[in-house]
Amino acid sequence: MGNKQTIFTDEQLDAYQVSLFVRLSSRLHGRYHELAPHLVPMDYTNEPDCKLPLALIVNMPELKENPFRNRIVESFSEDGQGNLSFNEFVDMFSVLSEMAPRELKAIYAFKIYDFNVDNYLCKEDLEKTLNKLTKEELTPEEVELVCEKAIEEADLDGDNKLSFADFENMISRAPDFLSTFHIRI
Amino acid sequence: MKELVALSTQDRIRAIRDLPVSFQEKKHIRCVLHHEYDKLYIKSARQSLELWQGTLKEIGGKFGSSVLSYFLFLKWLLMFNVFSFLINFGFITIPLLVHGPSPSNVTFRGLEILTGAGYFAHTVLYYGSYSNQTLLEPVEYDMQLSYFFTIAVFMVLCKITLIYSMSKSFQENYVPADSSSSSAWLLLTGWDFTVINEKAVRQRKDNLRESLSESAQSELLTRSEKLKHFGVHLGCWILSTGLAVGCGAGVYFLCQYEQKTLLVPFVVSLFNLVIPLFYSLFNKFEVYSSQRSQIYTLVGRNVLLRMVILGVLCHYWMDVVAENFQCWESRVGQALYRLVLFDFFFLMLGSLFGEFLSNVIGTKLLLHLGVPEFDVARNVLDLIYSQTLAWIGIYFSPLLPVMQMIKLFILFYIKKVSLIQNCQPPRRSARAAQMQTIFIFLLFFPFFLGALSVVAYTAWSLSPSEQCGPFRGLNKTFSVIESWMEDVDELQGSRWAAWIYQNIILSQIFFFLVTLIVLVIIYVFWQVSQGRKELIGLLKQQIVNEGKDKSFLLDKLQKLQSSRKKNLKRKKKKRVGHAGPAESRGGGRRSVGPGPPTEPRSVRLQRPHSGHAGPTAGAE
Repeated sequence: MGNKQTIFTDEQLDAYQVSLFVRLSSRLHGRYHELAPHLVPMDYTNEPDCKLPLALIVNMPELKENPFRNRIVESFSEDGQGNLSFNEFVDMFSVLSEMAPRELKAIYAFKIYDFNVDNYLCKEDLEKTLNKLTKEELTPEEVELVCEKAIEEADLDGDNKLSFADFENMISRAPDFLSTFHIRI
Repeated sequence: MKELVALSTQDRIRAIRDLPVSFQEKKHIRCVLHHEYDKLYIKSARQSLELWQGTLKEIGGKFGSSVLSYFLFLKWLLMFNVFSFLINFGFITIPLLVHGPSPSNVTFRGLEILTGAGYFAHTVLYYGSYSNQTLLEPVEYDMQLSYFFTIAVFMVLCKITLIYSMSKSFQENYVPADSSSSSAWLLLTGWDFTVINEKAVRQRKDNLRESLSESAQSELLTRSEKLKHFGVHLGCWILSTGLAVGCGAGVYFLCQYEQKTLLVPFVVSLFNLVIPLFYSLFNKFEVYSSQRSQIYTLVGRNVLLRMVILGVLCHYWMDVVAENFQCWESRVGQALYRLVLFDFFFLMLGSLFGEFLSNVIGTKLLLHLGVPEFDVARNVLDLIYSQTLAWIGIYFSPLLPVMQMIKLFILFYIKKVSLIQNCQPPRRSARAAQMQTIFIFLLFFPFFLGALSVVAYTAWSLSPSEQCGPFRGLNKTFSVIESWMEDVDELQGSRWAAWIYQNIILSQIFFFLVTLIVLVIIYVFWQVSQGRKELIGLLKQQIVNEGKDKSFLLDKLQKLQSSRKKNLKRKKKKRVGHAGPAESRGGGRRSVGPGPPTEPRSVRLQRPHSGHAGPTAGAE
């Protein structure tokens, strides 16, 4: 990892994600159950279809203080509203674990920062990210300046917004990314 | 339990079923998963046995990855010492103990723990009491060779481990200089998700805000201001070098009292504790262009100070002690023992002053100072210095790593308690990965190599003492190898080994040739990396050009479509009654954004394409 990019084929990444899922699911079932004991059944052999709402998941101690908690849960939910089934719950923690490969983490980090879900990080997305990070204590001019500088520095193809390729390029120059984009559970 | 197992298999089957890949691939994936399961069991078993796993997670969660790197470094050094202890004890000490140690006629008084002399002087702790004979029972064992080779092999293994970790760390963590403090970088990668403690999160937010607002206000410095800064830098460097040299001179002067009093280790440790505080003071007067150069300067000055002190001490030992005393190796060993012990006391004292008192002062007396931070750089340098002492001491006192082990073990708990009680998380996100590389590099380059050269010089040039130790009676320690090679030469079967020794290891031409070849290879690699840099520049330019092409083609497409629409409308007006479908041309301007996948598991990941205009709707 790092500057020597490991190229996974699509099938390999899928398979890897599946295996990550399997590793964590038994451990996480207890945690999922205790979020809403009356909703979540202990017996999954009939594949019940229950989803926990955003508000419950966001109160977990690992997520409670994270400024991006809402976006994290939303980007792993199928309906985009933050209601997670158990599979999605395990998906979330497996991508955020230390075992996930860099490509996978980059994909989801991009989704988390993409507030308007248009597959680009435009200036508004960056401004919202900045506000979440600094508790809205920067002046509007400073916010504007920082976001403009950010786009100027990271945008490679000149369309004034950051595509996934730009984002991945930025991430490849941050060797700490693997260790900071990580939540222990 | 049964439900959980059922859950895993169910989910696993469902997950595999969902993948839109061929049946063969699914079978292959199932095999892979079985392997993964086995590996997982082994890995979790190993993890539960690892030392301090839970504590490290706790520290990382509260204080972030840069403070965690200190504790990981400590654990790594502890492993070195454990390994050293095992091989020294196994190969050198146990045979001697089996053979029967030489009797000592000095009684044990409590003071020996402090001075290392007296009762300890004749025990297996020091070089002096190792015999030089070939033990005959239970198996033929040459003590001289075993002593020499154990130390040599350990040093070589350490060197290989250090070089390997250094290069791996450098490869993983290399960051080009221009991107380290840019806004985009801070914004997108600056948040540490591992921190979950509420206070810590708040602190991080404040610090990030400060860094971002600093970088947003870029100031242009006038020429006179730049000159002034340069002058201040120069002055501080001269002052700090002067201080270091002064300390070295002081230690040299005090060395004459080394044998009788405990003055030297006390003064050395005192200097190591106090002078870095002066350096931090100088730091406050200077203005740095980036935070990185600030840390590097501070670390550089501290390293200079310690190298000067260690250099003076080694010079004294090699030149004065070696000439004037009987059994000088044991004396050097004792001096090192005292240094290690006092270093330990002063490290604890440093924890007391550095963290506990600062906390008290910061929260009760001078409130504007606030809660202190854990100074990772200074603490890591302390660790590196103490490990260097252990490395120098291996030759003179084979069981010194035991002391180092105990010292590191206790230090871990002291630092942990001090950290949790007294410190706040670091203000800026000091890039842990880069600091890790720097620390390993520092460990290797001045310190380990210095220790290695001291030991090598002792083994190569100095004559061992005549009455004690495993090399008594020889001219030089290295003669052990020579006489061994003569023995080997006489055995018929291993003539080749002796031949190799005579003609390759001893010949100078061989090493000359090897050096030449290595230099040529370095030059070739350097040229290749220069070429690659140029290529990167060209490729970046190409990406920009393709972006421009894309927007140009999109514009053209739009114009074409609008003109076609107009044409179509005109045609429709002309032809009466012609029921032509009013086609809206395809998707028009479909979003061409290369995006990350939206479905986690069931859709193939779309690799981003740097694309020309993608939509197929009638582009000409």
